[in-house]
Amino acid sequence: MGWAWLILLLATYPWLLGADLASDALASSSLIFFLSGTCLVAPCRRLKRWQAVLFAACLGFLFEARRPIPDGVLALSLVAIAIFLSSNRQLLRNTPGMLRAAAVVNVSCCLIWFLASSYGSPSPATDLAGQLFLQLLLAGIVGTIGLLPIALTQNAVLDRLSIPPAPDNP
Amino acid sequence: MDQNRQGARASYVALAVFVALWILAPSAVRRFNREAFVEFQAPALHLLGKSRDLATFWEKKSRSVEEMAAAGRDLARVNAALEIQINKFEDIRRENVRLREITHYNVPAEYMSVVARVATRDSSSWWQRIVIRKGRNDGIRPGAPVVFGNTVVGRVTAVHLTTSEIDLVTSPGFRCTAYLEGDDQNHIVLVNGVASNSLGTAKARVSVIPRDYSIPAGQPARVFTTGMGGVFPSRLILGYLDGGTYATQVGNFKESLLVPSRDLYNLQEVSVLVPLHQNPGEALMQGDQFQ
Repeated sequence: MGWAWLILLLATYPWLLGADLASDALASSSLIFFLSGTCLVAPCRRLKRWQAVLFAACLGFLFEARRPIPDGVLALSLVAIAIFLSSNRQLLRNTPGMLRAAAVVNVSCCLIWFLASSYGSPSPATDLAGQLFLQLLLAGIVGTIGLLPIALTQNAVLDRLSIPPAPDNP
Repeated sequence: MDQNRQGARASYVALAVFVALWILAPSAVRRFNREAFVEFQAPALHLLGKSRDLATFWEKKSRSVEEMAAAGRDLARVNAALEIQINKFEDIRRENVRLREITHYNVPAEYMSVVARVATRDSSSWWQRIVIRKGRNDGIRPGAPVVFGNTVVGRVTAVHLTTSEIDLVTSPGFRCTAYLEGDDQNHIVLVNGVASNSLGTAKARVSVIPRDYSIPAGQPARVFTTGMGGVFPSRLILGYLDGGTYATQVGNFKESLLVPSRDLYNLQEVSVLVPLHQNPGEALMQGDQFQ
């Protein structure tokens, strides 16, 4: 089904909105509840590569839309990760593999937007290592804990759309 | 397996080509793309804000009659105090009108006030922002100052159809000139947000403080807008100087930190002061409204 990626994006959006709500609650501590990387992992097991690419790009652009991050940095990074994951599905065959992938992808994406924002920021900053560490730690924890419920939702939607588990060769 | 590898390689090449095209594409394309994704999310943000209002409404509705009566009594006292103040202001207004008539001086009302509810807050090391539930459709323009009462909250950075993004006073992108309380010579200082690097409250930096300036004893020194530059009206409170001042590396001036006068992350409602006439700074911002 060609539009599966879009329907899946709409089904995933409440999770992203929930992450925005959590970021709202964390606003006074200058931390972002980042989930976009985790949302990408489960669909890469079942969607075709081109569908995963479109899904990843939209995930990235949704996060970037309201934030001063240089255009396309996160979206294109997520696309590259989607290509990698959908070409190496053996990495996502079991739950521990998926959890590991979720943590790694979420932390990497978080690092990418943090560095991209620092590059685009009008004022220099010193001593940000602690804040970066906290942000990455939060992204790693959130990515790992959030994967199971998000993957359950996404798999339920894909099942309903009758999308079979993708073959090893997409 | 080879097919898979070839497909992956082709995808990476396609991605590289797309990245090159994306970099070379006119900024209008990127802006359109960003705007499309913002508008996609706008209804959800409105829904979020409205459901929060609804929850507050029901929470208040569920309170007991005694509580409401006590709140009404407190409100009546506050109203009485405010009425006295209004009378004072009325006297001042009359005097102002009389003086203007004497000098034949007619100042146009420069700003239109648009009250808006806060939809969501978003803060990281590199930005401190709030999103309000009013946008271009309500006449908001980029660069307009945002206040709560007589305190500055921030400045409108990006305007969409039904939502707007506001850089808070503590956000690294925020800059404005200010006067310090207790400085009789009215030296101009510079206020700019700093990248937050702690879990504590975000602060801004006050720089170019004259060396001979000393903080008034017994109270934190307030920082006021100058009204120069045409963005913020004058004498609005930006915040308070945090503790003492310290000399810069060069030593010609001093610096200090600014604590915003309101808890910026607990605001429910703000006023956007939209200038009736476009000023040069605003025109400059329109080309740069997404950064």
